[in-house]
Amino acid sequence: MSDALLKVAGMSKVYTQGLLKKRQTFRLEADFEIEESRIVGVMGPNGSGKTTLFELITGSNQPTGGQVFCNGQNIHKVKYRLRDRMAIHYHQSYQVRHFSKVLPSFMLEKPNSQYPYIHLFDEPQFSTQDGYIGFMLDFFKKLRGEGRLVFLCVHPQEPFHIEIMRSMCEEFLFVNAGKVSRASDYDGLLAVDGVRDYLGKLADI
Amino acid sequence: MTESPPLFVAEHLHKRFGDQVVLEDINLSFNAGSISGIMGPNGAGKSTCFNVLTGMYRPDGGSVFFDGEDVTGLAPERIVEKGISRSFQIMNLFDEFTALENIMVATNRVRHGLHRPFWDIRADSEISHKAAEVLAMVGLTGLENSLASDMSYGQRRALEIAVSLATEPRIVFLDEPTQGLGADGRANLADLIGTLQEKFTLVIIEHDMQFLFRLANRISVIHWGQIIAEGTPDELKANEWVRTSELGKMTTC
Repeated sequence: MSDALLKVAGMSKVYTQGLLKKRQTFRLEADFEIEESRIVGVMGPNGSGKTTLFELITGSNQPTGGQVFCNGQNIHKVKYRLRDRMAIHYHQSYQVRHFSKVLPSFMLEKPNSQYPYIHLFDEPQFSTQDGYIGFMLDFFKKLRGEGRLVFLCVHPQEPFHIEIMRSMCEEFLFVNAGKVSRASDYDGLLAVDGVRDYLGKLADI
Repeated sequence: MTESPPLFVAEHLHKRFGDQVVLEDINLSFNAGSISGIMGPNGAGKSTCFNVLTGMYRPDGGSVFFDGEDVTGLAPERIVEKGISRSFQIMNLFDEFTALENIMVATNRVRHGLHRPFWDIRADSEISHKAAEVLAMVGLTGLENSLASDMSYGQRRALEIAVSLATEPRIVFLDEPTQGLGADGRANLADLIGTLQEKFTLVIIEHDMQFLFRLANRISVIHWGQIIAEGTPDELKANEWVRTSELGKMTTC
């Protein structure tokens, strides 16, 4: 039996304000499973929780409840500095390695793989001014071809952003106000509540 | 040429600054007599890569070999003595010195070390002869006695390259040489670099794809601290987005 590449099981992250009287300011909930290698498009308004979701998947942010299994192993139980052997978060041009440490390292385990199966690209800078975008897209396909799971989070601003997402992504996640919806193709994504409002005129390109 | 081992090899280079991993497992090799290009979008890690290759930064992991010798983490002046030289994106010329004197200081540095008074360097006919040769290589013959501050921007760029050649290197790294140059300046610089290929192994870091497509034998594209694409200019130009992008359209020279 092989494990799903990624299993996000009943995960939640709650941010609160106030010391004595706690008031909830933001709540993210996610529960989904992706069996095998693919390119997953992620969209959603600013502040909806996309980056938080990525941080929870790479183990840089601690969930309030639930678990994240990368290739069968709970990433939040792995030693901090070795979590990048499981999943990598790319923010714009850089790879981010920042971990909020909850437990001392000796209480955590080693990763069961040395090969990061999950790559999350958070708003890569796509511009048609130069040709670098082509190399980026080929790189996503290469990772996909190597059996990895690629998340591509783009905040569409121009028609070609939509075209790229339509041609590259094999399924979509829409993150809105802390809720994660899943769609198996672009038409399915458009049918998700809130997506048309979010995309506006770009929706029917 | 592919039979002989590469002159310069970088293996598994890692570099991070705090939470940001700027280079992750970079592998590069440059053959003797070739022009290699490193390109990438701004902020992609190419300058850091360059600084690690040329010894300005020590990598957090990995090794750099020059002519079979491990030169990882050597001080910049040791690196220069080995025959590795680099230019800088921001020009480092002595404005109040003549073109020839700028070269002489660099030549002297490698041959005689730092502790020599300038009047003594200036009187050294062997060094001035060598410096004149270097100026000729970059097409600045006739401008030996011009003050660096009086030269045009393009000439200063050429002089900057001459300074990096003055240390008698075998491999020369050029950091964004087209910075600040217009179309004519770029064309002249490309011609100049073409002529240098006969004598030196060259590595050029450059944002301008067009410039590298024209010159380089092989190009590595760096982004997210990794090499995301590699190949000959023709192989890279075949990419659909490169063909249709604005820069791609200009790659006709």
